[in-house]
Amino acid sequence: MSTVLEVSNLTKHFPVRRGLLRRQVGAVQAVSDVSFSVKAGETLAIVGESGCGKSTTGRALLRLLEPSAGSVKLDGEEITALPPSRLRAARRQMQMVFQDPFGSLNPRMTVREILVEPMVLHGIASGERAEARVSELLRTVGLAPYHAERYPHEFSGGQRQRICIARALATRPRLIVCDEPVSALDVSVQAQIVNLLQDLQREFGLTYVFISHDLAVVRHIANRVAVMYLGRIVEEAETSALFADPRHPYTRALIAAAPRPAPGAVTGREAVRGDAPSALNPPSGCAFHPRCPLATERCRTERPELRAVSGSNVACHHAEQAEPLPLPSAASAPSELLNRRLEVLARARAASAA
Amino acid sequence: MTVTADANTTTATPEDAAPPRRAPWWLRLLRDRAAAAALILLGLIVLAAILAPLISPADPFANSRNVMIPPIWSERGMAEHLLGTDGQGRDILSRLLYGTRVTLLIGLIGMGLGGVIGSLMGLVSAFYPRLDPWIMRLVDMMLSFPAILLGLALVAVMGQGVVPVTIALGVASIPDCARIARGIAVGIMKQEFIEAGRAVGLSDLTLFVRYLLRNAISSIMIFMSLRFGQLILLGAALSFLGLGARPPQAELGMMAAQGRDFLLFAPHIAVIPSVLIFLIVLCANVAGDALRDVLDPRLRG
Repeated sequence: MSTVLEVSNLTKHFPVRRGLLRRQVGAVQAVSDVSFSVKAGETLAIVGESGCGKSTTGRALLRLLEPSAGSVKLDGEEITALPPSRLRAARRQMQMVFQDPFGSLNPRMTVREILVEPMVLHGIASGERAEARVSELLRTVGLAPYHAERYPHEFSGGQRQRICIARALATRPRLIVCDEPVSALDVSVQAQIVNLLQDLQREFGLTYVFISHDLAVVRHIANRVAVMYLGRIVEEAETSALFADPRHPYTRALIAAAPRPAPGAVTGREAVRGDAPSALNPPSGCAFHPRCPLATERCRTERPELRAVSGSNVACHHAEQAEPLPLPSAASAPSELLNRRLEVLARARAASAA
Repeated sequence: MTVTADANTTTATPEDAAPPRRAPWWLRLLRDRAAAAALILLGLIVLAAILAPLISPADPFANSRNVMIPPIWSERGMAEHLLGTDGQGRDILSRLLYGTRVTLLIGLIGMGLGGVIGSLMGLVSAFYPRLDPWIMRLVDMMLSFPAILLGLALVAVMGQGVVPVTIALGVASIPDCARIARGIAVGIMKQEFIEAGRAVGLSDLTLFVRYLLRNAISSIMIFMSLRFGQLILLGAALSFLGLGARPPQAELGMMAAQGRDFLLFAPHIAVIPSVLIFLIVLCANVAGDALRDVLDPRLRG
C-alpha cells in the first residue's frame, strides 16, 4: 500500500504576547516534533486527553493552522510550502469532519448549497451533474435527496454529522481528518456514524486521521493508534498491540482510566495523580515524569525518543519494564446486578415489539 | 419543524416524498398582526410621500390670509384645508406630504451611508484581526463626535441644507454600525463553519460574502431598521434647530419647530408633524423587530 500522508517533525507553537509592545514572553508548545505516516485506506487514530495537541495536529495537517515547523506530505506533495492559491486547490484531496455538527455547517446555506460549493470550487461538477451528485451523496450518507432543500438547523446532530461527511466526500478526497466526529453525539448515534465512516472507507478507499479521546471508538475504527501527551507522540502501535500490551506508562493509565461497560468491575489500578502540566512551560526531560510511577532521575533530565519496543514505537526509558496488563475485567462473568438489569431490558424490548 | 427520524439509521431507506414546506418569510411576516399593521401603515406613508406632487390638495409653499386654520374636525375648520393651515397660511396636509418625503430621504440615505460604510468596517475588522485595533480606534475617534456637533460643523462648511444634515447623520451612525457589525461578526468568526469553509478551500472573498456577511446581514439589517427611527428623530431634531431644510422647504422636524411658536393657541401646527414622526419611528421599530423574528433561522420553531 502506498503512503498517503507523511508527517515529519510537525511543530506548532503559539506565541504568547504581553504588554504594550506585544513582546513575546513565551510560547504554548501545542505540538512538538510529531511524525507519523498513514497508508492508503488506513485509519490512524490520534488519542490523548484534552489539551494534548491532537486537534492542533489535525488542523496543522490541513494548514487550517499554519505549522511552525516540520513537513506534511500528501501523496508526496509538500503541503506546508504551498502558496495560498495552490493550497486551496490541494484542499480537494484533504477534507475535514469537525467535532461540533451544530457549528460546522453554515446556517444560511441549504444542504444543496453546502454540498455543491466544494464541487463547483474544485471543478468536479456543476449544473445538473452537481444536482445528481448531491442526491447521490445524500443517499451515500444515509439521507434522502429531498433533504437537499433544507437548512442545517432542521436536522438532528447525527444527521448534521452525515451532512458534514457528505461535504467532505463531495470532492472525492484522498484523506479525511476527523476531529472528534462523534464525541458531540449520543452513544446510539455515535455507533451509526462510526459504522458509516467505516463503510465509506471500504467503498471509496479513504484514508482517515481519526482524532478522538474515546478509546472504545478508536479501538473499533483504527488500524493504528498514536497516543499524544503534551504535544508529543508517546506511543504509536497497531491497535490490537496497543490495547493488548501498552508499553508507555501514560498509555497504560489512559486505557485503565477508560470507562468499561461492566458495572461494579474493579479496575485494580492506580489513577494518574496530578494535572497535565502546562504546555507553556513543559517539564524537563520526559514530559510525563511528574506523574509517572516509573520515573527515575534519567526521566527528569533526558527526553526519551520514540524507539521500537516489541512492535510498538514508544518514547519511554523504561518501556521494557512495564508489566503486562491484567486481563480486562470485562472478560470476567457479568455481575448478578447486570444480569438482572439486562433481563428487565430484554423483557421491555419484547413487550414493545409485540 | 419536524425532523424525520427515519434518516437517522444507516439501514433505513428514507422515503423520497418530501414533507410540506414552510411558508415563505414575507408571508410569515404578514401573519404577525402588529408587524402587518406597521408595514401597511409605513407603506401608506411612503406611498403618500412618493405621490406628494399628485395628491397634495394645495401648493405647500403658497402663503394665504387663512392663517392658523384648525383641522377640519374642529368647529372653525375649513373644507379646503383638511388638516388646517400653519402660521403663514400654508396648507398643512400638503406640507406634511412634501415634508415626509424629505424626512424619509434624510433617514434612508443617512442610514444607508452609515450602515454600509460602518458595517463593512466592522466586518472587515472581525475578518482580519490584524486590522481590528486600527479600525476600532478610528471608530472610537468618530464616536467622540456627537451627531449634532458634526451637523453644526458640516453646516458651517457647506451651508444650511438637507445634504450636510444627511451626511452628518450618515457619518454619525458609522461608529455604531461598525461596533454592532463587529460584535456580530466576531461571534460568527468563532464558529466552526468558518474553519469548515476554509477547509473546503474557499477564497477569502467567498468566505467573507457567503459565510460572514450572509450570517451577519439580518442582524445588521435589524439594527439598521431600529437605527432608521433614531435617524429620523435626529434629522428632525437638526431641522428643529434650524440646521436642516431651508425655510420655504417642508420637513417634519422643521414644521414642528415652526409650530412651537403657536403651541398654545394653535397646537395642531406642531402636533400633527410630531405625531407623523412618532408613527414613522414606531412603525420602523415594530417592523424591524418582526423582521428579526422571521429572518433569523435560529428563532424558527
